[in-house]
Amino acid sequence: MKVVYNWLKDFVDVTATPQELASRLALSGTNIGGVENGAHGAVIEAEVSSNRPDCLGHLGIAREVAAIYRLSLKHVAPKPAEGAAKASDAIRVEIQSPELCGRFTARVIRNVKIQPSPKWLRDRLEASGVASISNVVDISNFVMLELGHALHTFDYDKVRDHKIVVRRAKHGEHMRTLDGIERQFDSDICLISDGDGSHAIGIGGIMGGAETEISFSTKNVLIECAWFEPVAIRRAARFLKLHTEASTRFGRGADPEMAELASRRAAELILQLAGGELLAGVVDIYPGKRAPQKIRVTRSEILRVMGADVPDKEIEASLGALGFAPVRVDQNRGAEGSLLAAWESTPPSWRAEVEREIDLIEEIARIYGLDKFPPRLPPARQGAARLPHYEAETRLRECLIGLGYREILTIPHVREERDALFRPAGITPAHLSNPLSEEASVLRSTGAVTMAAALEWNLNHGQRNARFFEIGRHYRLHGSNPVETRVLTIGATGAAREKGLYDTACDFSFADLKGDLDTIGALAARFTWSDGGPSWLHAGRSGNIGAIADDPISRTSFGVAGQLARRIADKLKLRQDVFLAELELDPVYAAMQAAKEARRYEPVPRFPAVERDFSLLLADGTKFSDVTETIQSLGIGEIHGIEATDLFRGKNVPAGKYSLLVRVILQSREATLTDAQISDFSGRIRAALETHLGAQLRAS
Amino acid sequence: MPTSDPGLDKTLSALGLTQASEVAARFAELRAHFDAQLLEVHDEAGWKRFRDTWLGRKSGVLTQITGNWLKPAAPESKPAVGAALNALRAHVESQVEERRAAIECGAEESALARERTDLSLPGVIRPVGSHHLIRQVFQAIEDIFFSIGFSVVEGPEIETPYYNFEALNIPEFHPVRDDMDTFYLDLPKGAPGPLLLRTHTSPMQIRTMERQKPPVRVIVPGKVYRRDNPDATHSFIFHQVEGLAVDTDITFCDFTGTIEYFVKQFFGPQVTTRFRPSYFPFTEPSVEFDVSCPFCGGTGTAAGGGTCSKCKGAAWIELFGAGMVDPAVYGFVNYDAKKVSGFAFGVGIDRLAMLKYGIDDIQVFFQNDVRFLGQFP
Repeated sequence: MKVVYNWLKDFVDVTATPQELASRLALSGTNIGGVENGAHGAVIEAEVSSNRPDCLGHLGIAREVAAIYRLSLKHVAPKPAEGAAKASDAIRVEIQSPELCGRFTARVIRNVKIQPSPKWLRDRLEASGVASISNVVDISNFVMLELGHALHTFDYDKVRDHKIVVRRAKHGEHMRTLDGIERQFDSDICLISDGDGSHAIGIGGIMGGAETEISFSTKNVLIECAWFEPVAIRRAARFLKLHTEASTRFGRGADPEMAELASRRAAELILQLAGGELLAGVVDIYPGKRAPQKIRVTRSEILRVMGADVPDKEIEASLGALGFAPVRVDQNRGAEGSLLAAWESTPPSWRAEVEREIDLIEEIARIYGLDKFPPRLPPARQGAARLPHYEAETRLRECLIGLGYREILTIPHVREERDALFRPAGITPAHLSNPLSEEASVLRSTGAVTMAAALEWNLNHGQRNARFFEIGRHYRLHGSNPVETRVLTIGATGAAREKGLYDTACDFSFADLKGDLDTIGALAARFTWSDGGPSWLHAGRSGNIGAIADDPISRTSFGVAGQLARRIADKLKLRQDVFLAELELDPVYAAMQAAKEARRYEPVPRFPAVERDFSLLLADGTKFSDVTETIQSLGIGEIHGIEATDLFRGKNVPAGKYSLLVRVILQSREATLTDAQISDFSGRIRAALETHLGAQLRAS
Repeated sequence: MPTSDPGLDKTLSALGLTQASEVAARFAELRAHFDAQLLEVHDEAGWKRFRDTWLGRKSGVLTQITGNWLKPAAPESKPAVGAALNALRAHVESQVEERRAAIECGAEESALARERTDLSLPGVIRPVGSHHLIRQVFQAIEDIFFSIGFSVVEGPEIETPYYNFEALNIPEFHPVRDDMDTFYLDLPKGAPGPLLLRTHTSPMQIRTMERQKPPVRVIVPGKVYRRDNPDATHSFIFHQVEGLAVDTDITFCDFTGTIEYFVKQFFGPQVTTRFRPSYFPFTEPSVEFDVSCPFCGGTGTAAGGGTCSKCKGAAWIELFGAGMVDPAVYGFVNYDAKKVSGFAFGVGIDRLAMLKYGIDDIQVFFQNDVRFLGQFP
């Protein structure tokens, strides 16, 4: 709403500069977009909140100004000269849908001269950003901007039978509106129709019809000034996708009492600028008239909500200036500042949204000044708690960041085809019914899909080395129930180590990914790996991840990791190897918690450790875990560790075999191991490996 | 070996040195000779030869003196010879040792000069990762509120219209819904009701109050969604921290005090705050909350002159909306509006981070370019 500073002066003798005024308005509840100095003086852009339709006119803003500065507000009391003929003989009005239209007034002016508006009127409209059309049309816009009430003028002679019927639209009914568009209605929309009521000539409270529009040949004018039910108007405006100045005002709740006054004001201006003769009286059908309800406000409630007092005279002055007519009603009426003080107020017709004591308290507080309530920090009543998984998540983040992973945040809205590439079979994704585009039409059903996109974005922008993690959610539907699951997604591509002064370059490999995951796994005792993995991962370089835990749920696999399948990498045009992992976090957090609780101190060994290497020739398909299990099955308590220290195939190794160097660390908690003990252990280990795995042992 | 023969291979009597003064003179000559030779010793090899000449166990000068001069000396002159020898030995030993230290030190210096590490060369960098900037701001806010007794809770991003709107006093066709263009899910036929992506973190106000009785003090960090076309200042996903405090004695003064405490912790003690009346269906009184522009010190003028780019000359920056919980909301969670009161607020994190770090495009938060991520270690 553009507030023309000079226009305000029609209603209130404000002396503050436009800048000062704007600032005071802002601090009392009228949001200010800015102040501009134009050809017609200062214009204040007021961003009126949706609960204050009364401020969508200069009179309403002037009332705020009067309340802030304690100035008097000038009355609006137009007294247009009326002719002898009665309006009620010239126009008949019937409201068939009082639930949609609570009041309808009609005035008729004969023999007007439609012509361009005078300069003062054009200037006011121009300052308000409204185009000038003709005197009668301009007057209806002017009155709307002045009093905040929308009205409509018809070419009286085009209204059939000089009769108005206000009714619900019939299903499928249509009409051409002023803007030249043919519009179709549903039965919740209020139409203004003429004659026998079968024929629509306007949409109530939204826009008039093209057929009865005022033109330069119009002789006689019918002024409609009505009141429409706000919820119905908002619903209709949304249904029709037609938001107008009128629908905004009626949709937020116009002042029903203003309907007759605004009509009279328009008539006065038409007589003044277009001549003609105003028929006597007004046709006023008012089924929706409501008696105002008194509201009580007490000092004790002000204190309870606001925490500091407001003096009696401030309470009475602010409510009085805003039209609430406060009356002190408690037994201690003479006592200034009494804790038992109570007032009864009657909300004015333009403030229908004020219904409760709290509403009055807000009015008092905002006019008194919010800065007058001293800030204080309330004492805490109880201990505060972090999220249950806060500590686990923090440890996880620290670990990942230490390993060189950067945290990312991705937008979960993705393209359906992209999501499908990563989606496990049998999963129903959550589609949006009103996406902004196909690119963002489904919520990601895996973390991997957006992680891949983040790596893709970097590769496409010349950044070939990236190590990322994201702690977020994926979204799926179980039937019609949404399921949001916390997931950790990891993505890596490019160099694990870049070439530097002291090092050679080294590309990120599956072993890097596995090592990093096992480092995280140490927080949860240990991750376990099993063959398999989803189809979007490379079949030979992927696996499922679980945890060692007593809880059978977290023992089952809760994650996957591996190299992105070539087929998918090609589709995403990723020209280098990409590694991805995705883990459900709740089981990881549970395993971390369990591991933390189970952790106990183990004394540091006092006796030296001895290493023995075994160079094995193994058949392809024999796993390192077969080796460790074989060795451990011997039950030698002095075996402290088993490591794989070298692995090769090819030269000097027969086809179908590979060479593995295994280091066994022997250590006793009781004494230094003797040569005899060591050679006994070594002999048993050799024998077991030869017997159980068919390993050939080479001298090492 | 001394150049002029001091007669070390002969006894003193064979040399005809019988007088104490003559013996002393001979020792003095030897000492002078030693001192002169010492000056010629410059490197480790020379030093070793020199040391062997004088201190060599088998045929060093001092060994010879002991064998040829001291041992055969007449008993009456023995003490004098012994004393002179000891004095010479002490001198030789200390000087030889001193010389060695001097040579080593010199050698080290020249070696250091040759091999000194170039400190301008980089070390071996083990790259570490980083928290996302949004996460950093979340953490900062959580820590501030946690320190004054607010617990942290989370909630679903996929919500029902009831929690996102109705229970927050926003009935259908309420004008506020027009400002929160909402994403809805496409659900199978027979679904119990529509589902949407929450447009704010406020639904957790309701879920929290349903779950517990007062006193309530929570903050809710999370993602929210509004159906806005993306540009430099709009994203259809962004981040909020919701706050809610309800108790039997929470007033507007507690509300402004809490917000003020938060802002001073976040931006620094120099900022001032301002509350402007506003309107939200779920708070009353409602406010918009402004902070004096922390970048121009609330002057509206940039440090180098000209209009401050952050507050556009306004001296104030609008931070977020908040207010006292509307009594109507308590009706939805079975709280007695006559007995309890409270406040609620919703802070936009992305905007806060953009302001604080001078980011002019909200999209960078979601592009995840390593060159962006690396700027906030």
